[in-house]
Amino acid sequence: MNTVAWLGSVAQHPRRVLLTVALATIIGLLLCIDPVTRTVRFHIDPSAEALLPVDDPGRAVLDQVRKTFGIDDPLIVAVRFEPSVYSAENLERIARLSVQFKQLPEVSEVFSLATVPNLLASGDEIDVTSFTDQAARDPAAVQTFAAQILANPLYRSTLVSDDGTTAAFALSTSAALTPQQYVALDFDGQVRRAVQEVGGADAVYLTGTLPVRAATSGALDRTLRFTVPAVFAVIAVLLLVTFRSPMAAASALLAVAIALIWTVASAVLLGIEFNLVSAIVPPLVITIGLSYTIHLLAAHFLSRSVLPDARDSQRADWVMKRIFTGLTLSATTTVIGFLSLLLNPLPAVRGFAVLASLGTLYVGALTHLFLPALLNATGCNRETPPIATRVFGRFAVLLTGFDLRWRRWIIGASALLIVVGFISASRIEGGADFINSFDEDTPVRQDFEAVAKAFNGANFVTVLIDGKEPDALTNPTLINAVDSFQDWLRAQPEVGAAVSFVDQLKLTNLVLHNNEPLYFGVPADAATVKQILLFASGEALNRVIDPQYRTAVISLRLNVDGSTAIGAFLRRAEARAAELPSPIDARFTGSAVLATRAVEALAGGHLASIAIAVVAIAALLSLMFTSIKAGLIATVPNIVPIAVYFGTLGALGIPLNPTTSLIACIVLGIAVNDTVHFLARFNAVAREQGTEAGAVRSALSSVLRPITLATVCLCLGFLVFAGSELNNQRQFGGLAAWTLFVAWIVDMTLTPALGSRLRIVTLWDLLRLDLGKSPQHTIPLLSGLSMRQARLFALMSRLEKHPAGTRIIQEGDLSRDIYVVVDGAVEATIERNDERLVLSTMSRGAVMGEAGYFGQRRTASVDTTSPVRLLRFNSQDLERLRERYPSIAATVFRNLNRIQAERIARMTALLR
Amino acid sequence: MNAGRWLCMALLAASLGARADAAAQKVLDCMRANIPPSLQIKEVELVSIDRSGAERLLKGKVYVSRDNGLIRVMLSISKPRDLDGAAYLMREGMREGGVDKKDDIFLFLPALQRVRKISGGSADAPLLGTDFSYNDMKQLQAAFGDSQASLDKPTTIEQRPVHVLQLQPTAGAGTRYSRVRTYVDQKTCVALKAEFFEGNSLRKELSAPAAGLKRADGYWYLSDLLMRDVKENTSTRLKVLGVIGSTEELPSRLFNPATFYRGN
Repeated sequence: MNTVAWLGSVAQHPRRVLLTVALATIIGLLLCIDPVTRTVRFHIDPSAEALLPVDDPGRAVLDQVRKTFGIDDPLIVAVRFEPSVYSAENLERIARLSVQFKQLPEVSEVFSLATVPNLLASGDEIDVTSFTDQAARDPAAVQTFAAQILANPLYRSTLVSDDGTTAAFALSTSAALTPQQYVALDFDGQVRRAVQEVGGADAVYLTGTLPVRAATSGALDRTLRFTVPAVFAVIAVLLLVTFRSPMAAASALLAVAIALIWTVASAVLLGIEFNLVSAIVPPLVITIGLSYTIHLLAAHFLSRSVLPDARDSQRADWVMKRIFTGLTLSATTTVIGFLSLLLNPLPAVRGFAVLASLGTLYVGALTHLFLPALLNATGCNRETPPIATRVFGRFAVLLTGFDLRWRRWIIGASALLIVVGFISASRIEGGADFINSFDEDTPVRQDFEAVAKAFNGANFVTVLIDGKEPDALTNPTLINAVDSFQDWLRAQPEVGAAVSFVDQLKLTNLVLHNNEPLYFGVPADAATVKQILLFASGEALNRVIDPQYRTAVISLRLNVDGSTAIGAFLRRAEARAAELPSPIDARFTGSAVLATRAVEALAGGHLASIAIAVVAIAALLSLMFTSIKAGLIATVPNIVPIAVYFGTLGALGIPLNPTTSLIACIVLGIAVNDTVHFLARFNAVAREQGTEAGAVRSALSSVLRPITLATVCLCLGFLVFAGSELNNQRQFGGLAAWTLFVAWIVDMTLTPALGSRLRIVTLWDLLRLDLGKSPQHTIPLLSGLSMRQARLFALMSRLEKHPAGTRIIQEGDLSRDIYVVVDGAVEATIERNDERLVLSTMSRGAVMGEAGYFGQRRTASVDTTSPVRLLRFNSQDLERLRERYPSIAATVFRNLNRIQAERIARMTALLR
Repeated sequence: MNAGRWLCMALLAASLGARADAAAQKVLDCMRANIPPSLQIKEVELVSIDRSGAERLLKGKVYVSRDNGLIRVMLSISKPRDLDGAAYLMREGMREGGVDKKDDIFLFLPALQRVRKISGGSADAPLLGTDFSYNDMKQLQAAFGDSQASLDKPTTIEQRPVHVLQLQPTAGAGTRYSRVRTYVDQKTCVALKAEFFEGNSLRKELSAPAAGLKRADGYWYLSDLLMRDVKENTSTRLKVLGVIGSTEELPSRLFNPATFYRGN
């Protein structure tokens, strides 16, 4: 029993299949959701750094910074006071707020005017109390604070805005605090309530990596909660309207939903986390799954009109025969396309490749096995036929005429689109917005921008300075080099502030020397440096230099956002850092840095991945169609939408980012699916009917409706993302819908235009074709060919079946077809004077009709005397064979000549 | 004499001003009884371990005395070499009219060749980069001048029965801690463990193995203490390497702000 027959029989035993699938789905659900805690076992990490490998140098530096200095990007609370921070009342409020913030869960330190010392030297006494303590002790001292802060490199534009209206509180939180915990703790609410309770504040803003990640996570969560059901709902309505079968629509959606569960369960099982890249897998599985199921449903309902009186088993068999090749080929090519991404160096992309491949395999398997069984079990055969079949049929006829008439123009226009698309694509810049992903009116963006405006930047970058050995950073020469580097950083337009231990050292040195300006500098010897650092040691210093004085950090605040601007700054800064004297080196890290590097790595590797995917798909199609030419032609329609997509990005100035870079993969998967469906159908019909024009019309009639429906479903499904809170998600939805629409246009025009001159032989056909035992030995025309070559010739011809008593050739007709008997028996007869004379009886291997091939009328009639299988070919088939497989053609022509020569020799002998 | 006793003395001396209930007062009195009346000189070693596991060693001498019931502590560093000669002097403030006068802290850095009086918030700052602060030292020794003391249900540490003493700083006490819980060995009246809370979170924890309890001249002391900063994930082990000597004579120059850094 072959695969198709087996699949048909499987559909006839729905209970077994349904039970197996149900069991697997229950296991999948248990893997996805913990039944005890009722929590999901997977989570979405919206951070870009999650895209980087665990052993990425940037992550390692960040881990080192976290471990050595116990710091992470701080959480910034900015509180605006009217008219100014500098009043005893407001400073007292700042002191109370600092105490309250310190008591918040997971907050280890609060840096504010109430917690940092304002070093004051007076005679031999050094006052190390805070600004707020000094204000409480002497309210008149407040008047001097603005000038003191302005002169202090540690606090300038850091603790109070330059206009003096806004006070900042930098909250250090535990590294273990996740965005989910941040939300669960209502951290934002607690901060705002504390500010409200203390009173006097005009406004409060909260920003930092954690709140932004929490907002991103929340937006993604809400997007998924909205889009997944909305996509299902939209598609359900469309399926319902088009197939007019609630049960069929529900069955298709159920198959896709199960594939989705299995995919997510696989992610849990394989330990693959959902990040900005792999979060695309669920919509991808839905889109591909629905595309597959629509093809199956179309075939399923078509079987009712084609085989109205057939039994269910016959129909199931027919459906499988109709869709098996196309579906299997398209699933294989799609999986190959995804698996080519395994070559990408980013583990996040590799995880995506694995999940997307598994998801495609699941929907493919469920469409082959589960959906037919479910349709049979639910009795969908009794449903009314789908609507718009006639409309699509008429449109297919018109489209065929258009495609064949304007073939050259279509191919030319497509070539032009590819060229223009790729030229326009050269203007694409890699880059992702970070905060600008949110709408302008979202609180998280407003807070970020308010803090960035007040303090000249809100993106934090850490520079790790490594002296390689203990006490290296007490060497005045090296400290001066770090100081000079820091000055250079401060001079960059992107840098709002730069602070390091050097500032603290210089400031403490100044204070210990009674504020003599001469001493605002790096001490001349290491011992003094060390003693001053020891005197200043405390939590604040421990966060900028380690107790061994081997490593230190420069904390930068950038006033730009997005990977493009940050990436440009990093490249300049790294070049400058390379000039630092040995042994020190400087490495940049922080969430913004890692996000930038991840985006750049993703964009950089993406084009290579697409190229690899296209080559892999072309290679696979060549193998499947047993011809490089056929493979390449079948690939071209998939390149056009990709070129148009990248051209659109370039034309509209949309950057290539983690989200937009994945659309090409999705479109490639879908477009290949549509192309393969068309070509497989075209091939089957062309072989049956023998005419390409008819085959194009028939294939278009067959696939136009399901492909169009699938495209409409997918486009509407992707347009649902327009409801997302995140710009990049909306962009993703719009661009994916647009590109799928382009792919549809191409598959309805270019694919038929290219395919109309193409007779393809699929690997499936080659393997399945039965020419009997040793055809190259038993059929003279195939003598000298290998089994594969014999089958190729047979598939480039037409294999016909006829019952007994069928007239194959009519004496006197003008026809150029040649026939070869594969099985059965025929007899050649002539009618003379109403008398039927049998000239000969022929069986396997016999060639007939060759006289017609050379332009003569048929000299005798040929009828079948038993059920027969015949190979039928004409001069066009032989010409195609000569073009595609010249060595096979040469052998066949030689054999044909030999057969002709033998026949002439026999006739000459008879005449003698 | 030994360094553990220095700690006991420091804490108990300052406990004179603590406001305690009767039971708690009884424990505090017992602890105070461990304070010897004379000057002690001890050699100590402080090993600090930072977040990354790197160690830093400080060696030096501690001079402790009571002057009219008020603690005088001077710490003189001998190692590492580039810190040799650095010195810290702490003079406990007197309690006058029910009000605690602020403690005085003086610093001498050899590189500057000058003595600086540090005023303000340094009591909570790390002592020479260790996990101990001056306040920790004081509070460890039950020197809660501005604290309310009370006793909780007793428990055991290393199978030794201990009193659980709760100390709650009063408003304006100038400490970062909201409360301190100490576990005082019932037999020796030495604190084997102390927990320092910020709000409701444990910030630091001091522990000492019972095996480190030693006795010299009839006074109990601890020879090995570990202070762990729970939030910062750092720790400092204080070891008493030996008691150099003690004398009934009170060398005032050791605790004089103008001369303390010259040492013995």
